[in-house]
Amino acid sequence: MALSKEVYQAFEDVVGPEFICDDPAIMPSYHKTEFAAVILPENTAQVQSIIRLCNRFKLEFRPVCTGWTGTFKPGVLYIDLRRMNKIIEINEKNMYAVVEPYVITAQLQAELMKRGFHLNVKGAGVNCSAMLRGHGHLDQSTSGDDRNHLAIEWVTPAGELVHSGSLGSAGEWFCGDGPGPSLRSILTSAVPPGVTPGVFTKAALKIYHWPGPTKFPVIGTSPNYELSEIPPNFMARYFSFPSVEQAWAAENKIGEAELAMELMGFNVAMVAANISTSNEEEEATFKRLSKEVLGPGFFVIIAGNSAADFAYKKRALFHIVEAAGGQSLKSLENPRTEGILLCQCIRVSASIRETFRPGGMFKSIPVMGQRDLTIKWAIGAGKAKSPLIEAGHIVDDGGASFGWGVEQGHVGKTEIFCKFDPMNPVAKEAVQKWYDEQSARAYKENYFALLMPGHPEDIGKSLSNYHVWWNAIQKELDPNRVSPEAGALV
Amino acid sequence: MGLEQYKGDMNMCCRCSACKFIPMQKISGNDYSYVCPSISRYNFHSYSAGGRMNIGAAALANGPTYTDRLLDIVYNCQMCGACGVSCNYAMDMEVMAPITEFRVKCVADGKTHPVLDKVIERLRQQDSMVPVTGRRGDWAAGLQLKDATKEEVDVLYYVGCLTSYDKRLQKLARITANILKKSGINFGIAGDAEPSSGGTAYEMGYEQDFLNQASKTMSLIRKTGVNTVVTSSAEDYQAIKVLYDKFKLKGDLKVLHIAEFIPQLVKEGRLKPRKAVNLAVTYHDPCHLGRLAEPWVHWEGQKVPGDRFVFDPPKTYRRGSGGVYEEPRQILQSIPGVTLTEMPRIKEYAWCCGAGGGVSDSNPEFAQWTAQERIAEAESTGAEALVSACPKCEMTFREAAAATGSRLKVYDIVELFEQAIE
Amino acid sequence: MELTALKNAMGPERVICDPSMLERYAADISFVNRVRPVSLVAPKTAAEVQSLLKFANETKTPLVPVSSGAPHFRGDTVPGVGGALVVDLSGMKQIMMVDRERRVAMCEPGVTFAELIPAVKKAGLRLNMPLLPRQTKSVIGSILEREPLVMPKYQWDISDPLACTEIHFGNGEVFRTGQAAGPGTIAQQRAIGGVQKAPYGPGTASWHRLIQGAQGTMGIVTWMSMRCEILPSLEEPFFVGSSRLDELLELTHWLVRMGLVNECFILNRTNLAAIFDDDANSRSLRDTLPQWALFYTVAGYEYFPEERVSSHLVSVTEISQRLGLEAARTAGRISAREMLKTVQEPSADPYWKLRPKGACQDVFFLTLQEKISGQIAAMTELAEARGYAATDLGVYIQPIVQGTSLHCEFSLFYDAANKGERERIRDMTGAATREMMARGGFFSRPYGEEARAILNRDAGTVAVLNAFRKIFDPNNLMNPGKVCF
Repeated sequence: MALSKEVYQAFEDVVGPEFICDDPAIMPSYHKTEFAAVILPENTAQVQSIIRLCNRFKLEFRPVCTGWTGTFKPGVLYIDLRRMNKIIEINEKNMYAVVEPYVITAQLQAELMKRGFHLNVKGAGVNCSAMLRGHGHLDQSTSGDDRNHLAIEWVTPAGELVHSGSLGSAGEWFCGDGPGPSLRSILTSAVPPGVTPGVFTKAALKIYHWPGPTKFPVIGTSPNYELSEIPPNFMARYFSFPSVEQAWAAENKIGEAELAMELMGFNVAMVAANISTSNEEEEATFKRLSKEVLGPGFFVIIAGNSAADFAYKKRALFHIVEAAGGQSLKSLENPRTEGILLCQCIRVSASIRETFRPGGMFKSIPVMGQRDLTIKWAIGAGKAKSPLIEAGHIVDDGGASFGWGVEQGHVGKTEIFCKFDPMNPVAKEAVQKWYDEQSARAYKENYFALLMPGHPEDIGKSLSNYHVWWNAIQKELDPNRVSPEAGALV
Repeated sequence: MGLEQYKGDMNMCCRCSACKFIPMQKISGNDYSYVCPSISRYNFHSYSAGGRMNIGAAALANGPTYTDRLLDIVYNCQMCGACGVSCNYAMDMEVMAPITEFRVKCVADGKTHPVLDKVIERLRQQDSMVPVTGRRGDWAAGLQLKDATKEEVDVLYYVGCLTSYDKRLQKLARITANILKKSGINFGIAGDAEPSSGGTAYEMGYEQDFLNQASKTMSLIRKTGVNTVVTSSAEDYQAIKVLYDKFKLKGDLKVLHIAEFIPQLVKEGRLKPRKAVNLAVTYHDPCHLGRLAEPWVHWEGQKVPGDRFVFDPPKTYRRGSGGVYEEPRQILQSIPGVTLTEMPRIKEYAWCCGAGGGVSDSNPEFAQWTAQERIAEAESTGAEALVSACPKCEMTFREAAAATGSRLKVYDIVELFEQAIE
Repeated sequence: MELTALKNAMGPERVICDPSMLERYAADISFVNRVRPVSLVAPKTAAEVQSLLKFANETKTPLVPVSSGAPHFRGDTVPGVGGALVVDLSGMKQIMMVDRERRVAMCEPGVTFAELIPAVKKAGLRLNMPLLPRQTKSVIGSILEREPLVMPKYQWDISDPLACTEIHFGNGEVFRTGQAAGPGTIAQQRAIGGVQKAPYGPGTASWHRLIQGAQGTMGIVTWMSMRCEILPSLEEPFFVGSSRLDELLELTHWLVRMGLVNECFILNRTNLAAIFDDDANSRSLRDTLPQWALFYTVAGYEYFPEERVSSHLVSVTEISQRLGLEAARTAGRISAREMLKTVQEPSADPYWKLRPKGACQDVFFLTLQEKISGQIAAMTELAEARGYAATDLGVYIQPIVQGTSLHCEFSLFYDAANKGERERIRDMTGAATREMMARGGFFSRPYGEEARAILNRDAGTVAVLNAFRKIFDPNNLMNPGKVCF
């Protein structure tokens, strides 16, 4: 597993002795994997040199940003991109920002807000790399998936430096497509089971108008942060409905009317997680809120460009909700809670309290695509959680799924997960069974195919044999097979 | 139980990296967004609290892999507690406690740092965490202060090793004593009889030496008969108030930092800051007066079996909200002519001065690197002076300011307050 | 070429070898070399496309897919090599789906804007259109070419409005992109309420992006679904005229950034006059127009449309006043309402670019707010230096992808019958392309004679694209000689 002295020295010559380590003591902190070594490049040139060496020595590598999650095989070179953490450019006139991989969303978001902009925040949280592909709370108004990337600086698995789009031809970052067919077809970042091979060393991202303050007026001490005031022309509300159908009808109309900065279709279990500072408080809050709601619902943030715009959005929003038989959850209307939710959903992106805090682990089935269709599937997946809840294997969240419209409801994202204690083998097994059964049902009933490791060969056949094409592309790009596919690298 | 008791906590780490940064909603840009000096300086994930959790969990599961690198990770941490605050915004798990226990385990296993061994050797032989020059009570010569071991006093002024012995910092003891005198409080000192509190020894991992010092210190305090101890040393404040309590040694002793005591004295009309001190300042929250000073919460219980990481009885986590943040600011705001501009990282998410956890002894270069980052942050506010409330912070910042050529003046908060009172 | 097998497969009458017919495909208005194809087939079904690909691979016959009707302008449908078979898809006219709730439509390559617009309108939907496409323009052709769209607000991604597509790659394999990929057939997907809307996947890649911009070099598209927008219930169109382009660009930036407007673009007076030139009086019309005209629309939808429009206008007015600009309901003799009606349809015949002088050559590229004024000044200088009156130069500026860049299009109107003028325009096109590239213009859609020069600037991208093309079209049959292939 270990690198020979000569090979290690070659890598050390690139980054210096301080920035490479193969000591077994550090490996538990790197995904509990025995890597050949961990290396910390400082810039694109070093990344390129490292990858060329990997090709020379036929050594597999994996680049990682903040490294929240990931599955890795032993013996590969772990390229920790932590030192590549610069914001290269914020172009206000042309509405994009250029970042290195270890700029986290919270950093870029804060810089953007000072300038009247913000960006799509991935569900993994603002603690993760800003340049990731993904979905999140603000998708309704800031798009998602692979659609926010513009030009990308990419070191291919063979060690070639490629500048996509306008960067390659004109030295500017504003466009990632062309000349001719777009390299964005493959420069899509991280989605299991595959990621673009090679390393993204810089990426330009679309940014969006931010009608709010240059910074949120956060007061208090952790974990009791709140806003001293609700920013002008902002409002956050939770609406519940008697049925899923009615909730969906309202969600769709809100999208069509382009009202929401955020529309997050989560149930009160996730609301409770966000506004609570401990597990005990969360459980109690969930029980309390569950009694107040009509049924399923969603959380909405509206933000006006002006008082008139805000008044219009508010009026139309309440009209739609009322017409669909919904109502606002009164106990969340007080400004303190409203402020906490605004901050949680925009500045924090919620996810840690929602996912890891209860039991330490969650297992999720995320689906990108057609919102109404995936909601239909998720109802069944939610019901299938009931026995696990009753047995005490997973956290009681009322069988919730969650999701939202992307790009004012044009497309959507739906997700459902089980939160559990990973140290409990019975729970772990039960969750895995649920996961396998529900993803199999989705496939069998033609809802979607979950492309997780282990499945592509079978599933690929029924999806235009995409895996064959993808493997062919990988082979072309990575003749020495040094850039293996693996899990996400948020 | 040692590290074992935190197995569940360490396994809860989801590697989200929040521990590297200040709380997310407080991040105000790309600069000054990190909170952990160790990951900021050494980059490998292993140096972050998350990495330390993972290493700790692996050590429990498989036995520790002691290598030079592991010890480098273990000892290059100021134990400043910022990681725990950022983590505990969202997570229910102990962070600083297992990190501390891992050090204790290293020391117990004989895997010590040679420089820290020497520091502890000095403690054992000379009852001081810092080099001894002269006698401990020399700083008080000519001040005619009461000897609390012999005279009846209401308050014991505990000075601490650094302030007692370091010629550059002895002025802080004299100023503090002067302020107390002006307030008319019946206080005394222990002079040469004052033992080291041992707080830093605990952070270094030498738990037994700490307990020995705690025992000596509490004996002295009991001997004086006071109910209240005041100190100008943040480290000793935290040791006596929090650590002694953790080990159930404190009893009902009231422990105050001078920065807490002054506002009380002003409120009672005993002190009147009326003279102008025209200075634009920024305030550095010492870790031991801020987040680490949050009162200890005694808890014993068991994990509730099932889906959640919850306990019976419920566990209250020390998340950083109970530190002493407002009083020092009240003091600065009470001084005519002083204008306070805050740095990006303050209060529970303040950046450490760099000297904590034995790092100023074991790796002075790292301590200075950390301090210089803070000097730059202080300069970014436009302030003329950086004010703290801890002699170790002051010492470290003065060196860093000199090394970087900064024109920033460095003061302890008592220095400014003394100028303002009549 | 051995056409017998093809004739046997398709029926002899379907394989057209009539020289006069083939001549129509041998050249277009661009300056690419004249190359006559050897035959022409107009498939009607995907199965027939399959037959053609099978034949092509067996006989190594180059294929040139064409979906729009004449006149063609960019040289991409003129064979790049001899011996080619033109695959004319303009007869594939089926509109397979219009779904109001999911805001999506699906059609075949032969469907033109003129045909699709009424179909989606009937359902309460609309298309995000390119500016005044010609009557014969295929919707799918336009989308595959990544033509700029007049509503930047609804162009979230440069690939919009493409949702899903079925492509027959050069090697004959069929592939469905995005949500359409599966599981299940299209019919099975529909049976559970699925539509073909989400563009990404299957798997890690976004395959549609490889097909767009390829000028038919990857394969033949047999259907495509595209996102549609809701038909507004109220629209208020405006012009802002000015001689100060920089200020109009600043206003445009804010209107797009804040999402206040739907249609939004800038034309110079030459282009605006050309669009409304219904007689020979274009010069007199042009003289009434401002040097630059920004056109935009504020819209209301289902709920309280008046209130929505008026609330948006509060912001629009505030920004305009800050910049010292004023919106108007007319530009010269042209009413904003008339303009709106015009740009929501394809161009009336004759195509507006042919009206001024009978022919037109476009030079277009993507650029930045801070660069475009300098590029326009350089283009004007370049034209005048070559004896082309700056007043004859059409300029169209289209903010794209929600304001992340600008499409800048120079239209060089000329008389094709005048050989000297044609040569001058040809020379100007090359010179302008080089000059604009030197000034930071990004030619993301490289056509015709200039394509090589454009692609030579980015060897890295070209190398990767060529590697991919080998996979999808190993025999180099799909429109060889185009892009960088």
